[in-house]
Amino acid sequence: MSVHPSDSPTAKNANSALDAERQPFVGPEDLAAFDPASALAEPGQFPYTRGVHRTMYQGRLWTMRQFAGFGSATDTNERFKYLLSHGQTGLSTAFDLPTLMGRDSDDPLSLGEVGRCGVAVCSLSDMRRLFDGINLGQVSTSMTINAPAAILLAFYIAVAQEQGVALDQLRGTLQNDILKEFHAQNEYVFPPRPSVKLVIDTIEYCTKEMPQWNTVSISGYHIREAGASAAEELAFTLADGMCYVEESIKRGLAVDEFAQRLSFFFDVHNNFFEEIAKLRASRRIWAKVMRDKFKAKNERSWLLRMHCQTAGVSLTEQQPMNNVVRVAYQAMAAVLGGTQSLHTNSMDETLALPSEQAAKLALRTQQVLAHETHVSQTVDPLGGSYFIEQMTNEIEAKAQAIFDQIDAMGGVVAAIDRGYFRRAIAESAHAQQKALDSGQDKIVGVTDFVEDGPPGIDILQISQDTEDVQVTALKQLKKSRDAKKHASALETLRQAAEANQNVMPALVEAAKADATVGEMMETMKQVFGSYDGGPEW
Amino acid sequence: MSNTNTHRPRVLLAKIGLDGHDRGVKVLARSFRDAGIEVIYTGLWQTCEATMYAAMQENVDVVGVSLLSAAHMTVMPELLRFRKELGVEGIPVVLGGIVPADDYPKLIDMGVAAVFNPGSSMESIVDCIRKLAADRSAATFEEAMAGYDLGRLNALAQLISCSQRGSLPENFTPPAGKAKIIGVTGSPGVGKSSFIGKLATDLRSRNLKVAVVAVDPSSPITGGALLGDRLRMMAGKPDDGFFVRSLSSGTMVGGLGPQCGEIISLLDGFGFDVILLETVGAGQADVSVRELVEHILLLLMPQSGDAVQFSKAGIMEIASAFVINKSDLDGADATEAQLITSINSDRPVWRTSTPKAEGIQAIGDWVAALPTT
Repeated sequence: MSVHPSDSPTAKNANSALDAERQPFVGPEDLAAFDPASALAEPGQFPYTRGVHRTMYQGRLWTMRQFAGFGSATDTNERFKYLLSHGQTGLSTAFDLPTLMGRDSDDPLSLGEVGRCGVAVCSLSDMRRLFDGINLGQVSTSMTINAPAAILLAFYIAVAQEQGVALDQLRGTLQNDILKEFHAQNEYVFPPRPSVKLVIDTIEYCTKEMPQWNTVSISGYHIREAGASAAEELAFTLADGMCYVEESIKRGLAVDEFAQRLSFFFDVHNNFFEEIAKLRASRRIWAKVMRDKFKAKNERSWLLRMHCQTAGVSLTEQQPMNNVVRVAYQAMAAVLGGTQSLHTNSMDETLALPSEQAAKLALRTQQVLAHETHVSQTVDPLGGSYFIEQMTNEIEAKAQAIFDQIDAMGGVVAAIDRGYFRRAIAESAHAQQKALDSGQDKIVGVTDFVEDGPPGIDILQISQDTEDVQVTALKQLKKSRDAKKHASALETLRQAAEANQNVMPALVEAAKADATVGEMMETMKQVFGSYDGGPEW
Repeated sequence: MSNTNTHRPRVLLAKIGLDGHDRGVKVLARSFRDAGIEVIYTGLWQTCEATMYAAMQENVDVVGVSLLSAAHMTVMPELLRFRKELGVEGIPVVLGGIVPADDYPKLIDMGVAAVFNPGSSMESIVDCIRKLAADRSAATFEEAMAGYDLGRLNALAQLISCSQRGSLPENFTPPAGKAKIIGVTGSPGVGKSSFIGKLATDLRSRNLKVAVVAVDPSSPITGGALLGDRLRMMAGKPDDGFFVRSLSSGTMVGGLGPQCGEIISLLDGFGFDVILLETVGAGQADVSVRELVEHILLLLMPQSGDAVQFSKAGIMEIASAFVINKSDLDGADATEAQLITSINSDRPVWRTSTPKAEGIQAIGDWVAALPTT
């Protein structure tokens, strides 16, 4: 019996179209060439298809890491202290859109956005208030930031030094994955090459100074949300990861020095088994690549550790309670796929930022999964299922075909130059829309089983006061800082960028001279240039 | 020269503010193209003012705004204020994105023509756009001409639409101008639009008024088009000395849209100093650009192999000068050497790189020194 979805690596993910091509069931003859010893091994053994640890959730449950942030540094600081006093040890920081784009709160394009989707951090003074009264040697901090990641890291380092905490004691994660910004999320500032150089600067700096810091969270989430299929998400993300590894090696770092501090971030969508297969395949591919291609010797360098988030794009404004059900299934797929950490979305996210009640329900969804369903009692319970193994193989083969295409173009950055990723993602998104328009795919409550009437839930309202307070404080800072020290620190930064040196030390000094995010970005823009999005849209 | 086909709906799609979530707007653009609509996309990070200013220059039938950052109650009043200020209240504005139901009536009251949410069917959106475009009363030739004579940009934009509809009178000739008319051509992906954006900035700093006519292909099946050149040229601030008009190639072969010559003479007569005609990626038939312009800049990039291909196709002969764009990429030396061998003449060869506008000034000097006609 033979079958199987299109052999084209960019086969589009209209789910029902794929389903229709599938055989009704899969049996041993479909896995004739399958060798469990080499394709699976045991959990915690190469190639880690079944999981990165031998005992997985029996040893330790996944981390329930709910991402949140709002308002001013002071508001978020209060929230952090509340969470710490209730036993949480990890802090997760969401920045507002201007900060994510490397712009100050008083930039004209920041109008209406300050403190809206996260906290506004323009300067060391904001970062100091954000972590006021929190010992940075005793917490782990995750910062979701990309284009200006090196600058926010510099602020964090400067605060730690003020507190007298040694840099090798700092623990946390920087998202710092600029490549997916070019593919999908569009929070880039500089052109691709200098952007990657900045990422490698942080990897190099942390490898030497901050060995406990997770340098890059290589992210498929945004790629998938923008429209990529599961195979594209997997392949583009791992290709990005390989690009960072290659560039770090070119910088002169040994692979085993930095590889353990790379982690991954995937989306978990509605196609239940496909998502589980994707997560399993990701570990197998990465382990082989790290061992065989990059010659890593340390087994820890072979492990793909991941965080997963349920698919925001799958949520609907109509009948929002239905989203609770979607999130629960997606969360179960993430756990059956062996994630290390999980964020479950709130049901009201298509309407506004989550209300407290909706955010709590999202967390409760994970707790029910962890403590009532018993899905965590054995590692990789679907391992050996004919269907799951077939799908895992398929998705690995599709990813390999995409790697070959990217290699033929000359690598990830060259493929960005050609608009390859953006075109593939936009075409997949368009194909999914057409499948909905034609009635081939269905969304409950939207294309079918439609009801009229308002959504019937309360949503969060955010005040606009933060913006005024933040802008006033920023203007005050610009007036009161030591102008001479400030100008000279920015000049040192410009020279470091010009001389193609690692800019991290200069950024830390500029942070201490009260240079703002916008000023440091502008200084680097003069050297690196800016980017208009490449050839495809 | 005139084309009596009915006018296709032209829609400008805009993302305003810092939000980069563009999946929706891109899917919409493609679905509109498939429905036979011409789509002009202005790219990310636009201001309200720049968006309405672009809509005025393009004289679109509808402006569609995509907003996912919940800033609609701040952004939409601002956008409508600029619509009024620019005197283009006749262009309907629609909104799509995450909009709480309570805000719908407020938005409609303030003058938004329609609001769509993530669950709106594509069919209903397309129907609405078609209806708004059909209901929009286009300026007549006489109305547009009156404003054109007064030097009004929105009248120029309307007159160009008259030309596109084939409704300029047979005996009409625009006043003669003194513009330097320059074709910019080259293969897809070579970076023509970004290059033009940087060159225009340079020419504006010399106080030269610049108009750009950017031609993109239309779908041979539906006649719709994705006109994306403009987004590489969006200036930070609207500037009355920098006019951009996006055209689709229609059914013409040779990389140029219908009425291209007529539109160039309208811009010339209006008083621009430089007119840049960006053509659909160069093919063998692209020598037709020569009939419309006095000078041709041919863009190449490293590693493309274009130099060899173009000498075979005869395009090398028609170029007045050559630009190796993206010269920060590997292989620029080889491309330059190959080019100099194949042109075998003293026509200028420049290297440019657009992220930092490197090499642009030399070309600005060249343009500034060209004789006026």
